[in-house]
Amino acid sequence: MTPSRPSYSRRNLLLSGGTIAAAGAVLAACGGSEPGTIARIGISPTTVKLPDAKVTDTVLLRTAMSFEAMIAALLSDPAVASVAPATAKPVIAAFANSRTATMAALSSLTTARGAQPVSEPNQKLMQSYGNTALQLIKDGNSEADALAFTLALETLTASTYQYFVSLTAEPALRADMMRLGAGASRRAAVAAQLINGGTKAFGPGLTEDGVAILATLPRAFGPLSTVQVGLGKPNEVGSLTTVLMDTPSLNSFIY
Amino acid sequence: MDNHQVDTPDTPTTSRRSLLTALLAGGAVAAATPLLAGRASAEANDAIPANDPRDNAALNAAFERETRMAATYAIAVRNTSNKDDKAALVVIHDHHVGYAQIIKGYLATNAATPNSAPLGSPTGAFGPMAAQLAALENQTVEIHTGILAGLIGLNAATLIASIITVEARQAAALTFVSGSTPLAAAGI
Repeated sequence: MTPSRPSYSRRNLLLSGGTIAAAGAVLAACGGSEPGTIARIGISPTTVKLPDAKVTDTVLLRTAMSFEAMIAALLSDPAVASVAPATAKPVIAAFANSRTATMAALSSLTTARGAQPVSEPNQKLMQSYGNTALQLIKDGNSEADALAFTLALETLTASTYQYFVSLTAEPALRADMMRLGAGASRRAAVAAQLINGGTKAFGPGLTEDGVAILATLPRAFGPLSTVQVGLGKPNEVGSLTTVLMDTPSLNSFIY
Repeated sequence: MDNHQVDTPDTPTTSRRSLLTALLAGGAVAAATPLLAGRASAEANDAIPANDPRDNAALNAAFERETRMAATYAIAVRNTSNKDDKAALVVIHDHHVGYAQIIKGYLATNAATPNSAPLGSPTGAFGPMAAQLAALENQTVEIHTGILAGLIGLNAATLIASIITVEARQAAALTFVSGSTPLAAAGI
């Protein structure tokens, strides 16, 4: 009787070891050699990288022009004029018309730097909040909306120029921007006083009923936060629809 | 012989192959997203320093102006009897104290000792006093805007800009309550 064969002979071990080594070499040769590539199936079109968008001084000036054109369009919209009280109507109209001089100043600064001036309102911001606000004013048909909207737009304009200072490379241009921003600040103060007049309304505070008053000077430093304004018809608990308005930013700049 | 026939649906809803294809395609889209997104950066942030010691002299001038404005409002508050008028002037006084303090804090050891003499002695009826203070506010806005035009560092520029925004508002508010028309107060 011969003993049964051992399950692993030296010959078998050498044969299977060689086979595994050969298979490993074949598999290694099949592997990709470029690290970081993405595996895909089928034909994929080549992606075209978008160009870097640099926020230059001329981009800021062109954006400021589109922003001011939008503010002028909003303030002179018939929806605002139709609800404005008689005393405020000429003031709001003058605020809108003052943009003619502002646009001329911005146009001069833009062309002096070899860029093309802009005369169209900023479409991105109009879609984001401008059109919504106008529709709410139409639907609400409330006198209070006209001045509240004016105050919000002038506050937003002042914040926009203040924000642009942090992005502007040329120091002299920062000062030019803040001259325009200071003008908007003055108009905002007047709008606030027309809503809630007198020295009693200068600082933040509460009415006798505990309701926060609309202050002409709500804070010590110019804010860059979102400007909120309540517009339209009051809902079942008396609240208005809040519209949030932001300064122009990377997705609404005119490059 | 038994024949077994397997019915396969004409259009399988989800096969392993289609699932893998979808996953790989999704992965490819996710990986390509950063390439498709446009990048934006502020030119100023690349080239302009955040702080520059050459701004110190101009900032010290702004510090002194705010110190003197605060001293002027302190007199105006003392000379005002109406409760609402006094409260309004205290608000603006405190703003100027805050401006002086923040500019001094920015300058730190580079802050010089400012001249703290008041810029006037506001007294009498509130209307003329408000007009006098509004004129000082307008002057301060002009001074700070001139300083801003020469500032090199971005941090100092943004600080002064945030002060100008509110001081212009203070000027218009004081002009309005002094009895001017809305358009005159707005500078139109």
